[in-house]
Formats: sequence, C-alpha cells, structure tokens
Amino acid sequence: MIDSLLILVYIFLFPGFLFLITYALILEFLDRRIAARMQHRVGPPFYQPLADFVKMLGKEVIDPDGVDLPVFDAAPLIALAAVMTAYLYIPIFGSSPLAFQGDLVLVLYLFTLPTLALFLLGWLSRNIFSALGGIRAVTQMFIYEVPFFLALLAPALMAGTWSISEIMVWQQKNMWFVFLQPIGFVIALIGLQAKLERTPFDIPEAETEIVAGPWTELTGRRLAVMHLTSDVLLVAGSALIAAIFLGGPTISVPVTPIWLSWFVGFFLFLAKTLFVVLILSSIKVATGRIRIDQLNTIGWKYIATASLLQVAMVIVINYLWVSS
Amino acid sequence: MPEVIVPIGPHHPALKEPVNFKVIADGEKIIRLDLDLSYNHRGIEKAAEQRDFIRVLPLIERVCGICSHSHTTVFAKGIEELMQLEIPLRAQYIRTIIAELERIHSHLLWLGVAAHEIGFNTLFMWTWSDREAVQDTLEEMSGNRVHYGMNEVGGVRRDLTPEQVNAALVRLPVLEERVKKYVDMVNNQKTLLVRFKGIGKLSKEEALKYGAVGPTARASGVDYDVRRDDPYLVYADVPWNVVTDTNGDVYGRTRVRIGELMESIGIVRYCLENLPEGPIRVNAPKTAPKGEILSRYEAPRGELVHFIRTNGTDKVERVDIRTPTLANWTSVAMCLVNQNLADIPVIVAAIDPCLSCTSRITVINSDNKKEGLINFDVLRKRFRTRYQSPERP
Amino acid sequence: MIDPITLDFVREKIQDIGTAEQVRSNRIRITTTPGRIRDVIRSVQELLSCDRLLTISAADNGKTLELIYHLTGSHRMVVSIALELPRDAPQVPTTSDILPPAGIYERQIHDLFGILFQGRSDLKKIILNEDWPENEYPLRKDWAPDPGTFYGGIKGERV
Repeated sequence: MIDSLLILVYIFLFPGFLFLITYALILEFLDRRIAARMQHRVGPPFYQPLADFVKMLGKEVIDPDGVDLPVFDAAPLIALAAVMTAYLYIPIFGSSPLAFQGDLVLVLYLFTLPTLALFLLGWLSRNIFSALGGIRAVTQMFIYEVPFFLALLAPALMAGTWSISEIMVWQQKNMWFVFLQPIGFVIALIGLQAKLERTPFDIPEAETEIVAGPWTELTGRRLAVMHLTSDVLLVAGSALIAAIFLGGPTISVPVTPIWLSWFVGFFLFLAKTLFVVLILSSIKVATGRIRIDQLNTIGWKYIATASLLQVAMVIVINYLWVSS
Repeated sequence: MPEVIVPIGPHHPALKEPVNFKVIADGEKIIRLDLDLSYNHRGIEKAAEQRDFIRVLPLIERVCGICSHSHTTVFAKGIEELMQLEIPLRAQYIRTIIAELERIHSHLLWLGVAAHEIGFNTLFMWTWSDREAVQDTLEEMSGNRVHYGMNEVGGVRRDLTPEQVNAALVRLPVLEERVKKYVDMVNNQKTLLVRFKGIGKLSKEEALKYGAVGPTARASGVDYDVRRDDPYLVYADVPWNVVTDTNGDVYGRTRVRIGELMESIGIVRYCLENLPEGPIRVNAPKTAPKGEILSRYEAPRGELVHFIRTNGTDKVERVDIRTPTLANWTSVAMCLVNQNLADIPVIVAAIDPCLSCTSRITVINSDNKKEGLINFDVLRKRFRTRYQSPERP
Repeated sequence: MIDPITLDFVREKIQDIGTAEQVRSNRIRITTTPGRIRDVIRSVQELLSCDRLLTISAADNGKTLELIYHLTGSHRMVVSIALELPRDAPQVPTTSDILPPAGIYERQIHDLFGILFQGRSDLKKIILNEDWPENEYPLRKDWAPDPGTFYGGIKGERV
C-alpha cells in the first residue's frame, strides 16, 4: 500500500507532473531571459510563462471551418501526455522507480509524438501555411532523427544496457560519456535543438515565411497545451541528455545515506539541466534560420556521418576492451 | 506537388506594408509572380495640385516615413531651380546632414529587417538599438524621429545649435565602432552567409535591362549614383566614395548598404565639422514661372525622380513621383522566379521595399507586429547613458 | 563613363523623327509624335547609348495628354522624349518589349490617365484597387470624385 502511494506521489507530485510543469515554466523563463540579455534587451519577469499559460487557457477557441474537431482537440493533449510520460522514466534524483530494460527506446519513441501531432494539426488545418509547416516538420524529423538516435545508442552500447537509469549508474562507476564520446554529445545537442524546433532549426514555424506553420490555427486552450508540450519537452530532453552524457543526478563519489544522495542528486539534476539549457539558448541566439534543403544537405552529409562514426568507434572500443 | 498559389500578402508577417504577391509555386520552387500594389494608394499626386508651395511640402513629406526628407528635398530643389533661386550654403549643409542621417537610420533599419527575415533575431535587436543613437540625434535637431519638416522652398526651417552639433559628433564614433562589428559579422557569420549568398542573383546586364536602381543596382556592379552623376546639395564638395559590389545577390546588397553606412557617417562628420555660418533661408516668391523640371535625388533605396510642371501660379500643375521601389519591382519579380519559397522574404527585403512610396495611397495599416512588454523609460535611460549624451540625465 | 552627348549630336541622329532642344546643362528634350515613339526609343537606345529608363511621366495640360519618357546612359545626360495625345482617344504603341522597365510605368499611367498602350495584353490594374469602376481616370484634370459612384472596397456599415 505504502509502495503504491509513494509511486503515486512520485508520478503526480514530486518529481512527477506538478514539479515537471513548474520546472518547465521556470526553464522557459530562464531560456527567454538568457536570450534577451544576450540580445541587449531586458527580458520577461519570472512569472511571464505562467501568466502566458493561464492567459492562453482563457482565450477564445476559434474552430476553423470544416476541420475535424475531435482530432484537433486530441492532438495537443496526446503530445503533452507523451512527453510527460517520457519524463517519468528519466532519473531525477536517483534511478527512476519505473525503470526497465528498454526504457531508453520508449522515451525516444515518445519524444517523436509531438512532431507527429504537429504534422497532423498542420495537415488538418485546411490552410496552405499550416500544411507547408507540417510537411517541413516531418521532413526535418526524418533528417535529424537518425543521428539523434545513433548518438544516444552509442552510450547504451558502451554501457551494455538499454535502461537510462543503468547507463547513469555505469557512468557513476566509470566516466561521464561527455568525455568518452564528445562527438555523440554534440550530435545529441543538435538533435535536441532540432526536435524542439528552435533556431537554427525552427523551419516548421518560420514566422516570416509561413506565418506560424502548423501552429497557425491553434488558439486558446489548444495553443496553451501545445506550448506547454514544448516546455516539457525542453525539460525532458535536457534531463535525458544530462542523464546519458553528464551522469545524471550522480557524481563519481557515492553518497551514503540514501536520503542525502537523493538530496544531492536533485541539485545535481538541476545544475546539469540548466547547463544543457544554457548551451541550447546560446545556440538559439547566435544563429539564424537555415532552409530545409540546406538542412537536408548538412544533416545527411555531416551529422549523419559523424554519428555513424561515433557508433563505429564505440563498437571498436568495446571489442578491444572485451578482448583484452 | 501540383501548382499552388501561396498568397504572400496583403497581410503577412514578412511584409511591413501591405502588398499582394500572388506567388504561384510548385512545392518550394517559385514559378511566377503576380503583383498588386494598390493597398497603399492615397492620391497624393492629385492632392498636391491643389496646395500652394508652403502647404504642399508636408503632404509630399508624408509620401513615406523613412525617406520623408528625400521627397521634400527633391521637390524643394526642383521648385527652387524653376524659380532660379539660390539657397544659402548653410541651408545646403543642413539639408545634407539630415539626408545622410536619414540614410544611416534607413540602412540600419534594413539590416535589422533582413536579419529578422532569416530568423536571426540577435542582429535585428542589435542594429535597431544602435539606430536609436541616430534617432536621438534627429529628434534633437528636428523634433521628430521621422517626418522632420526641415525643408521649405528657399532653405531650411530650423537651424542647428552648436550643442546639437557637438552631441551628434560625440555619438558618431560609437556608431562607427558598431558598424565595423556588423561588417565583420556579415562577412563571417555562417548562417547569414548561407542564407544570403547566391540568393536573388541579378547580373549586371539584367540590372540594367530591368531598370534596377540604388543599392540593388550597385550590388550588381552598375556604377550609378545620383549624388555623383547629377550633383546636388554639397555632394560635389564633400569627399566620399560610391560603394559598388560585384556579387549581385542579397549578400552583395548587404555589403553595399553597409559600405554606404560607413560613407554616410564620414559625410555627416565632415558636414558637422565644416558647417558654414550664414542665413538658413531666403525669401521665395509666391509663384513659380511656367516650366518643367526633372529633379533627381539619391534616396536610401535608390534614385528618386520628381517630374514637376508649373504654370505660373502658386501651385504645381503636375508632380509625377517615381520612387526607387517602383523601379525595383520588375527586377524583384525577375529574380524571384526559380527561387525557393523560403527566400521570398529575404529577396523582397533586399530591395528595401517602401510600399508607401510605391503606391501613393493611404490605407489603415493593419499589419502591426506584436510588441514586447519593455518599459520604454527604462530602455531610453539605458541608451542615453550608453551613448554618453552629456545633456540628458 | 563616356563623354556627354551634345545637342548637335542628338539633332543629327534623330533628325527625321523628332526635334530636340537643350533645356538644362544635362538634359535634352526631344519632341515627337505617338506613331514614331518606338523608332525614337530605339534610336536613343542604340545611337545615343542610353541604356536605362528613368521613368515615364504623364501630365494633363488641359488640352491634351502628354507622355514624357526619360532615359539616361553612362554619358550621364538625360534624354526626355515628349509626345502629345488627344484626350478622347489616347493611344500609343507600347515600348515594354524594347524597354522592359516600361511595363510597370505603363500599367500605372493606364490606371491613372486612361492612356491605352497598344500591343500588350496584360494592362490590368496595378495602382488602383481591383474593383475601381471602369473609365474613371483620377489624375485627369476634368475628374472629380462623384459622391454617387462606388469606388471599391467595403460597402455599408463597418463590422
């Protein structure tokens, strides 16, 4: 009984959904504030993302003519549910209690659902700009998904396990993967920036070209939910990279008693996710948007080959290590 | 994908003013372009026929916001030539200073807008904050950030005090440093280069054939600048250079405009330092003798032509305005074919379109972008302290 | 940049098709008739090496409609070619095939003055709105807005 009660607390309160949504809004504020300071502006106050969310929930929902309304309502909710579920499998202050072999694959799969939801919304909107944006979103996904998966596969190969929590434990015993596989780290960051559709990869929602892409016809609560999905994806994505490359909520020195390790782990988690978000914000500010055909060239020529190289290196190292 | 008509405009986030480009596209490649410019037409040319020379100048000024001084100067100098009036040297220097300051602020605005069109918002924020220095100078000198109202037939209406001259001279070196940084950025920043190079290419023959003017033409190697070829005001006395480039694409136009920025800062500095003493106006006669004149001027966007005909009364009989943007539309339509849909904003922005100049119709401007919650006073204070204006707190 | 062309040079080149006079140190004005405009433009382009069209101005002087083409070249002189058209049937052959920038100016002048440029098929509205009534040419001197006519846009109460 106590066990299931604790699991419910984990899922819904801390570090589950309540903490997740709070942290998502805080990270959005930090991202906007850092970007603004780099651009010589002041930036929003700390309560801005919460204010935006509450305001958008209250706005009028405009239903375009002839659109399939049940699907239109469901798609943002499905996207939000997917990323919130994915977050539960990522270690926050220690190994996740829901971990199992293969949860890395599950998390990566759930991360693709927001892009598919965007495509569906773009296609259903009966609007030329949304359709173009939806097509661009899926095209972009085809380009960055393969290197992103490969870059996250390489640590799993080296650690010999398919569970994120066990990869984290392996790093605690040996070395962080950011030092062992720097190429993979860079590619994972690029892949995450593309998945979040931030500059230079904000091609699907290019404001000056196709109005807002698949987001054009989203209003009111649908827009609020979709926007929250982006924020939650930022948290979950950076948590995933922090867990796989930066050792997650652990350091090489094991901390006894358990409650202290959870305490320290939680602060390590905050620090490492903030570090990843800082890198992502800097990339967002320092670059302009590239075109989809240019992304195609760069993606397949450079990024995909680099990730294949990384995986090949890991296979070779594993073979040498095992045979020695 | 079959042929699809993508409406760019009249309401579109990429356009600052309403214009209707009906782009017929096949997937992401553009096949052809249909143009409809009527959204900003105000009937200014007809209205100008009913106003005398004092009242017509504010009307002519409001043809455009950013090139307002260009329109009044070219009109005033045309009328002055018809009346055979020689305006004092100090007035000509003041007109030149305001004209070049207008060119600086227009090019900085353009740089920000071009960066914004490719999603590079950092450069947009930086250039627009530097532009505030120029706007502060203009506001001190004329009382307004656009629509300066400095010109009248016979000279200028306001004088420059020594304090204003000094304040402007203090701001110029800071601006020059910032512009040098933008030169560096344009030449080296990867995403900028990748989005600007090779886009919207116009060869020299095409530029001549389709009648391109201004920085658009000079970027294709056409060596034509009205300030040198048909000198007016004090451009014959001030040392400056015409900036041309051979690239012909959006990258070339960027380089030409940044080069012109540096030249304009030099011209303003020379004029401020060598401002002659004397009166700022002469009394102009009420009526103009019968005649016609073609008055030309190098506006920030290119060559501006006013064809003025008078008939001995105190009103013009006809003023025909040919703005640089109108001359550049044909070349835009030509260089958009076979380009990507994603490059339309960049190519259209590269000719620096000023649709209020092009059609001369007013419309209730419905194309406002969202604005952020920045406290205006806080922002102004920061910029004043940054640019070290001695007389503001 | 080549040497500026002189008045005598111009007179010699276009002696059969128009008359020239020098109106300003860098502007020469040629007067011709609508039928010969294409020949004049071709001669000015080839013989006087004018390769840019500045603008086509149109004016209404009360009695006739006037069209003036302004061209310039690397010699930095402006050559203005003026012709007059009758008010009731103003027609002139188009020059947009030999001078591509003329296309946009011809459409604009057709909207505002009603001058018909023969030989081109796409003379549709560019500067006036699409539902402007036919045969109303605003920039003519005898035109005034008629309160009974609907000039396009949205009728009635604004929503």
